[in-house]
Amino acid sequence: MGVTCVSQMPVAEGKSVQQTVELLTRKLEMLGAEKQGTFCVDCETYHTAASTLGSQGQAGKLMYVMHNSEYPLSCFALFENGPCLAADTNFDVLMVKLKGFFQSAKASKIETRGTRYQYCDFLVKVGTVTMGPSARGISVEVEYGPCVVASDCWSLLLEFLQSFLGSHTPGAPAVFGNRHDAVYSPADTMVQYMELFNKIRKQQQVPVAGIR
Amino acid sequence: MCVLYDVLSIVRDKKFMTLDPVSQDALPPKQNPQTLQLISKKKSLAGAAQILLKGAERLAKSVTENQENKLQRDFNSELLRLRQHWKLRKVGDKILGDLSYRSAGSLFPHHGTFEVIKNTDIDLDKKIPEDYCPLDVQIPSDLEGSAYIKVSIQKQAPDIGDLGTVNLFKRPLPKSKPGSPHWQTKLEAAQNVLLCKEIFAQLSREAVQIKSQIPHIVVKNQIISQPFPSLQLSISLCHSSNDKKSQKSATEKQSPEDHLYVLEHNLHLLIREFHKQTLSSIMMPHPASAPFGHKRMRLSGPQAFDKNEINSIQSSEGLLEKIIKQAKHIFLRSRTAATIDSLASRIEDPQIQAHWSNINDVYESSVKVLITSQGYEQICKSIQLQLNIGVEQIRVVHRDGRVITLSHQEQELQDFLLSQMSQHQVHAVQQLAKVMGWQVLSFSNHVGLGPIESIGNASAITVASPNGDYAISVRNGPESGSKIMVQFPRNQCKDIPKSDVLQDSKWNHLRGPFKEVQWNKMEGRNFVYKMELLMSALSPCLL
Repeated sequence: MGVTCVSQMPVAEGKSVQQTVELLTRKLEMLGAEKQGTFCVDCETYHTAASTLGSQGQAGKLMYVMHNSEYPLSCFALFENGPCLAADTNFDVLMVKLKGFFQSAKASKIETRGTRYQYCDFLVKVGTVTMGPSARGISVEVEYGPCVVASDCWSLLLEFLQSFLGSHTPGAPAVFGNRHDAVYSPADTMVQYMELFNKIRKQQQVPVAGIR
Repeated sequence: MCVLYDVLSIVRDKKFMTLDPVSQDALPPKQNPQTLQLISKKKSLAGAAQILLKGAERLAKSVTENQENKLQRDFNSELLRLRQHWKLRKVGDKILGDLSYRSAGSLFPHHGTFEVIKNTDIDLDKKIPEDYCPLDVQIPSDLEGSAYIKVSIQKQAPDIGDLGTVNLFKRPLPKSKPGSPHWQTKLEAAQNVLLCKEIFAQLSREAVQIKSQIPHIVVKNQIISQPFPSLQLSISLCHSSNDKKSQKSATEKQSPEDHLYVLEHNLHLLIREFHKQTLSSIMMPHPASAPFGHKRMRLSGPQAFDKNEINSIQSSEGLLEKIIKQAKHIFLRSRTAATIDSLASRIEDPQIQAHWSNINDVYESSVKVLITSQGYEQICKSIQLQLNIGVEQIRVVHRDGRVITLSHQEQELQDFLLSQMSQHQVHAVQQLAKVMGWQVLSFSNHVGLGPIESIGNASAITVASPNGDYAISVRNGPESGSKIMVQFPRNQCKDIPKSDVLQDSKWNHLRGPFKEVQWNKMEGRNFVYKMELLMSALSPCLL
């Protein structure tokens, strides 16, 4: 598990999402990256049922349950600013049993699918973020395998991102700021994806039932 | 008798019983009491003796009865013996047993149940036969007879029409322990048949599922695969039932020599290992909510393992792949040994020695090959090769540190050894020169001059005598053999044209032209010996 940076690539002007993705992948292939299959990251939202809320009437917390094809046997559950849990795939079955406490927000399933490229030590994943039938944006994930400490390799990652994203290079992700010298874990990647999905949801400003 | 003893001991205590003499009349005359006492004593002794004799008779009768009963075995006692070896259970009014490996971890779907029946077909009037057993077992019809798995390697592929017709030789039944009842041998044979069937089912399932470069052929009771291009490995299940018909037709011409017993044994071991894995401690105990599997696989979810890590936990090699790898290794090893041996017997100078390591793996063996000259082993030991024979390749580590990888072709190994032998000769001259005091002027392992060799390269060396008068130049190639030339000083050559350039006579002491030595006419039993003689002939004696 190496240090990963997840960012969004804005759609080029006058082009569709698909064309932008194609542009990016062509750039990567010219760079010399090797196509290695597909990937998929998806996210479902649950919110705490009203019955469990205290008499203070506090707002229900949102819980996200995510899957990543890079870790096929795991399931991640996280709260917005809270802890992130990495669990077995049986967690999905558990959520069904906890229907009374956590209710699925309808039509909130968001996912990104795309191709996976390997370029020496870098793993680049370019995916189309879709919510339902419509494509909402482009996600770019770059992982640098050999390093597990974020602060050590951020500059290298930045340089690599600049080489093919150009001016759309993002800044350092928030998770890096929190724990500089701690070992990077897959849960941090999922937090980044969650933030990306939330940003994309807000961008389109489509009212989704269940969101606060 | 015991009652009497008890009464007497109680009376002695005088707590519960006392002896009270009966009141008597006047005593009879004095001489009678003695005879009376004698008579009374005799009577009482006779009474006690009677009781003892009666008891002894009864004991003797019961002992003889027991001995008679031993020969006539009871059904229940036989059933008890059976239960000590096999699992039995009562279903309705039938007694069924289990001879499968399911309780040992097997997942084969065969039921493997046998039935225990009472043997009631004896005639009570006739004499009971020696090996009569009141118990008989009935095994499932498809497990009758005996079976074994035959693994063999053939050089050339047989015709397609011959597939599926494996000549099986009736292996003599393994001798059962003397004294073990006939049902034990029957059940053990049936269990062996079941195990062989399971092995073959597993192998054929894998042969069909696993994709490999050259597909495996599964025909009836035989699996054929090609580990190497010109080689064929066939694994067949040979099941011979105990019918009278098949026994008559079992005249076998095919020798059992190509049956690799080692691989058959390994197949049995592998399937038992597979059984153990399903019951091993890394599987059980496990949390009630976790799926069945390896302990590390259960952790792969919570610890977010990626695909590489998951693959490293799961051993993806099946039984068939393992056995093919083992067969490849065995074949490669025997062929390497044959190559080295053929070279050793063909070529006498230099000599090739092979020291095989006793400890080896199923997939790897090693041998140390030394190339020496007879009589000069201490001096000329620069060519020592360590061959690591793997599954498909041979890795050679030279003494000077070079690592060379050879493929499974035997020609490659042979060519390599021949080139090493030729290099050895030149190395030997170098070492000899050191010992004899000759100076090495030039030395090259791979000369670029002269005719091109098809195997390897020629090597050459030039040495000069201690006083500088003579020089010997040797060129040795694997194919072209050895060529030795000697350089003489100018004043010893008759046919040198006189020249005006050389005024001084001291120049005549320098070395001049070369002359070839007729090596085959040289005395000496091997190259190094001949070279030593030549060197000693050319260095003048100081005396």
